[in-house]
Amino acid sequence: MDRLITFERITIEPPLKAIYRRLGYRKGLTQVRPDEARTLGDRIEQARALITLKGAARRLPILSKDSRQIRLPGDRILESTRLAALLKDSREVILLGATAGPAVIEAIRRDTAENNLTRAVVLDAAASEMVDAALDWMETFFGRQLRREGRRLTRSRFSCGYGDLALENQKLFYELLELGRLGVELTERYILVPEKSVTAAAGIETIA
Amino acid sequence: MEKGRRKFLDTLKRRPLILDGATGTELQKRGMPPGVCPELWCIENPGVIEGVHADYAGAGSDAVYTCTFGANRLKLGEYGVHDVPAVNRSLALVARKAVRGKALVLGDIGPTGRFIRPFGELDFEEAVSVFREQVRGLLEGGVDGFVIETMMDIQEARAALIAVKETCGLFTLVTMTFERDGRTLNGTDPLTALVTLQALGAGAVGCNCSTGPDDMARFIGAMRPYAKVPLVAKPNAGLPRSAGGDTVYDMDAAEFARRAGALVAAGAGILGGCCGTTPRHVAALRKAVSRKKAPVPLRKSLAALSSARRTVVFEPGRPLAVIGEGINPTGKKALQEELREGKTALVRQMARDQEAAGADLLDVNVGVPGIDQEQTMHDVVMTLAAATDLPLVIDSAKPEPIERALRVYPGRALINSISGETEKLRRLLPVAAKYGAMFILLPLTDRGIPETAGKRTDVVRAVEREARRHGFTREDFLVDGIVMTAASNPNAPRETLLTVRWAAETFGARTVVGLSNVSFGLPERRWINAAFLAMASASGLTAAIANPASEELMFVKKAADVLGGRDRDAAGWIALCAKPGGAAKRAPAEALPPEQRLREAVLEGNREAVGGLVAESLKAGVDAAALAREVMIPAIVEVGERFGRKEYFLPQLIASGETMKIGMEALEPFLKQASKEGAGRGTILIATVKGDIHDIGKNIVALLLRNHGYRVVDLGKDVASERIVRAIEKHRPQVVGLSALMTTTMTRMKEVIDLARRRGLSCPFLVGGAVVTRAYADSIGAAYARDGVEAVQVIEAITGGRRKA
Repeated sequence: MDRLITFERITIEPPLKAIYRRLGYRKGLTQVRPDEARTLGDRIEQARALITLKGAARRLPILSKDSRQIRLPGDRILESTRLAALLKDSREVILLGATAGPAVIEAIRRDTAENNLTRAVVLDAAASEMVDAALDWMETFFGRQLRREGRRLTRSRFSCGYGDLALENQKLFYELLELGRLGVELTERYILVPEKSVTAAAGIETIA
Repeated sequence: MEKGRRKFLDTLKRRPLILDGATGTELQKRGMPPGVCPELWCIENPGVIEGVHADYAGAGSDAVYTCTFGANRLKLGEYGVHDVPAVNRSLALVARKAVRGKALVLGDIGPTGRFIRPFGELDFEEAVSVFREQVRGLLEGGVDGFVIETMMDIQEARAALIAVKETCGLFTLVTMTFERDGRTLNGTDPLTALVTLQALGAGAVGCNCSTGPDDMARFIGAMRPYAKVPLVAKPNAGLPRSAGGDTVYDMDAAEFARRAGALVAAGAGILGGCCGTTPRHVAALRKAVSRKKAPVPLRKSLAALSSARRTVVFEPGRPLAVIGEGINPTGKKALQEELREGKTALVRQMARDQEAAGADLLDVNVGVPGIDQEQTMHDVVMTLAAATDLPLVIDSAKPEPIERALRVYPGRALINSISGETEKLRRLLPVAAKYGAMFILLPLTDRGIPETAGKRTDVVRAVEREARRHGFTREDFLVDGIVMTAASNPNAPRETLLTVRWAAETFGARTVVGLSNVSFGLPERRWINAAFLAMASASGLTAAIANPASEELMFVKKAADVLGGRDRDAAGWIALCAKPGGAAKRAPAEALPPEQRLREAVLEGNREAVGGLVAESLKAGVDAAALAREVMIPAIVEVGERFGRKEYFLPQLIASGETMKIGMEALEPFLKQASKEGAGRGTILIATVKGDIHDIGKNIVALLLRNHGYRVVDLGKDVASERIVRAIEKHRPQVVGLSALMTTTMTRMKEVIDLARRRGLSCPFLVGGAVVTRAYADSIGAAYARDGVEAVQVIEAITGGRRKA
C-alpha cells in the first residue's frame, strides 16, 4: 500500500468565500462597493492564472503507535501527542503535499516591489487558500476510493508546525512525498519554497 | 449488431433500461469485511456475489455489472495479485452464471486510482494498456458490453474507452461522477464529458455515484439538448449522511423510485442505483418507470468542441467564435527557439494572453523545420490541455503530429485541416473518425486552390461524400472559405465570402476563415481584418482564426454579433464595454472642493486620482501642511478605524494605504522642512527574521507606518540577527519591528532582542506574525500587534501618542 501518487495539475475553482474571509471580510459588517468587488474578482482570476497547483500523496501503514508517537516504515517517527490522538483509530496514514508553484510568488514579489501591495495581498490570500483547497481536493479524491474499501479519512488533518508536531518533521514529509519532483525545495529552517506549499497528514480508519 | 447493443437499443425503444444497484454495500451487508480486496473476496466467496447479481436480475435489472470495479493491475497489484485477466474472466463468468441469461452482463471498469497525464503522472499509453488487459479478461469471461464508471478524470475515461475500442467493438456505457457543484473533481462539467465521450464512441454517457437523484437530474438535464446517445443515471440512495462517524444513505426504495421520474423527465433512458441502493431499490425503480417511454436522443450529430473543462458549441445564433492564431512559430523567432529547445513557458503565456483577450479556441501549430514535430505537438498539446480551458485546434501540414495530438488530447479537438488532397483524405479521415474529432474542410485539391466559390463548393461536396463513409455529418466539420490576399487579387475576398455564404446557407455546414491573410501587404492591416470579419460574420461565418489581441478586431466582432442577432440582449457587448478601459472610471463628484475629494480618494483607495487632487488642492490655496494634517492623516486614520470595525477588509486598507503613499509623495516637495515626513514621528526599523521568507505582513506594516508619517527602514526578509542589531546601532530607531511566520523562525526574535540588549541597546521591540502570540511577545520582552493597524497604534503609544505634524 506504500505508493506515491503525484498530481501534475489540480484544477479547482478559487474558493471565493475562504479568500474573502482570509482577507478579513466579515459578512454583514464589511462594505464592498461593486467596483471594488469587480477589481477583487479580476485579481482572483489573475491569481488563478498564475497558480499551478500540483500535489503528491503517499499512503503508508502505521507500524506502531502510542499516545506520543507514530512509527512509519523506514524507521521514521512522528512525535506528537495531538497527531497520535488524531490517528488513534488509524492503521494507515496518508501524507499529502501541494504547491501553488513559483509564478504567483514571483508576481507577489514584483507587485510589492512596484508599489502594488493591493494586488499582492489578494494574490497571497488566493494562493494560500487555493493550496489549502488542493489538500481538500486530494482528501476528497482518496475519500472516494477509501469508501469503496470500507474505510475513510479522519475528519481533520494535521500539519507540521502546528500543535506539538514540530516543523522539523517537514523533512520527513518532504522526502516521503518527493516534493522535489513538484519543484518544491526545503530550506535549512524547514520552510517549503515556493512559499505557498503545504503538507499534512490524515489518518485512514476502518468504518465499523 | 452484437447482442448487447441490440438488447440495449431494443429495450430503449419500449421503456427505460434498468441497470443494477450497489455492489460494494451489498457485499458488505452479506459478510465482506472492510478493508479486503472485493474482487479477491468474491473469487473466494463466489456464492455471495452470485447472490447479489441474481437478486438484481430478479429485481428487474436488464443488465448487471461484473464485480470488477478495481480489477486492474494497478489496484490488484496492491494486494499482490498479478493475473489480472484471470480475475476478470472469473468474475465475468460468475456474473453470467448468476443471471442465467435473464440480464446482460457488463464488464465493469473503474478508475485506477491514479491520475493520467497531463493531470497526473501515469502515462496515457500505460493507462490504455492497463485497461486493455482488463478488457481482454472480461471478454474471455463472455461479457455482453462494458461500463466505464465513477470516473473523475475525463482523460482516464478516454483511456478506458480507447482500450475497449481497440480491443473489440462492444457497446460501452461511460459514466462520470460529478460533485454537487456540477463538475468532476478534475473540473469536467456534464456537457463537456458528453461532448468528449460521445464523439469518442461511447454508446451511452451519463453519471453515477456522488449525488442523489435530485442533483443528478440537473446533470442529465445539462447533457440532454446535446446528446446523440442515450443518457445514463445511476445515483446514490440520496446524499450521504454522517451517522456516528459512518457514511450512510437513507433514501428508501419507494422514495428513490419516486424521484427517478425526474431523471427520466430530464432525459435519462438508462437508470440504476449506486451507493446505498439495494435490489429493493431496483425493483421499485423498475416498477416506477416501466410504463414510461425512454427519452430518445434529440440529435444525430453535434457541432461542438471540448477541452477537459469547457465546451464550445457551434450553433446558429451563437456569437462568432475566435480561434486564437498566436501559437504558430511562423515569423516568431522566440517561439521557434523555445520549441527547438523543448520548452513550453512561452506557449503557456501565449495561451493565457489569448484567453484573456477573448479567444474561444486556440490554434496550435508547431511547424518549425528540423524538429520532431510529432513529439513537439504531443508535448505542447499536453501542456495546453492542463494550462488552458480553451479547446484546441490541432494545426499541422503533416498527419502524424495530428494523430499523436488527438490520441492524448482530453477533449474533442478540431483538426486544421483536411483538404481534398488524396493523401490528406486517405490519412486523416480515419484518424478523425477514430478519435471523434471535428475538422476544418479546406476546399483545395491536388491541383491547387480553386479560384472561384463555385469550384470550391464542388470540392466541399466531394470531401463530404468521402467523410460520410467514415460516419461524419455536416455538423462534424467547418468549411474553410479560403482567404487570399486582397492586395494581389481584388476579387479574392468576394469569392471567400461567397463560399462562406453558400456553405452556411445552402449547404448547411459551419464555416471558418483564416482572417489575417486578407490584409497581407497592406498598411494598417487591423482595420482591413476587422472590416472583413464583419462582412464574413454577416455572410454566416461560424469561426475565425484571428488575433484576439487586436482591440479593433474584437470590438468589431462583438458589434457584429449584436447586429447579426448573435449576442442576446447585447450581453457580450455590454460586458466588453464594462471592462477596464471600456467604461469611465469612477470619479469623485466634481462639485466638491478638491480637498474633500482628496479625502474621498484616500478613503476609497483611488490611487489614480490622488496625485491630481493634491495638486488641485494646493492650487486652490490650501496649505500643504494643513492638507496633510487636516485632510489626509484624518482620512487614513478613518480607514484604520473602519478596518478595526471590520467595515473595511484588507484589500481596502491596502488600497487606501497605497493611495495615501502616492498622495504624500506628491505633497512632499511642498511641505516645509520642519513638517516633512519623519521629522515629527521618528524612525522605525523593521525586518523579517533569519530563516523566514514570508514578508507580506511586514510589508503591510511598513506601508501603514509610512502613511502615518514614520520613516521606515525596511531590512527585508531572512535577515540575520547580527545585521538587524548593526542597523539599530546605525539608525537608532524609536521602535524595532520583527516579523516571523513559522515556529522555527520565531525563536530568532528572542535572539535579536538578547543580542541588542548585550550590546547595550535599550530600544523597544514590537513583534508579530502568524504564529506569534501576545504571551510569546511578553516572554521575550517585546510589544505585540495582531495586524498592521494595531502595529501603528502600538508604535504611536510607544513613541508618545498622536502625531505632532
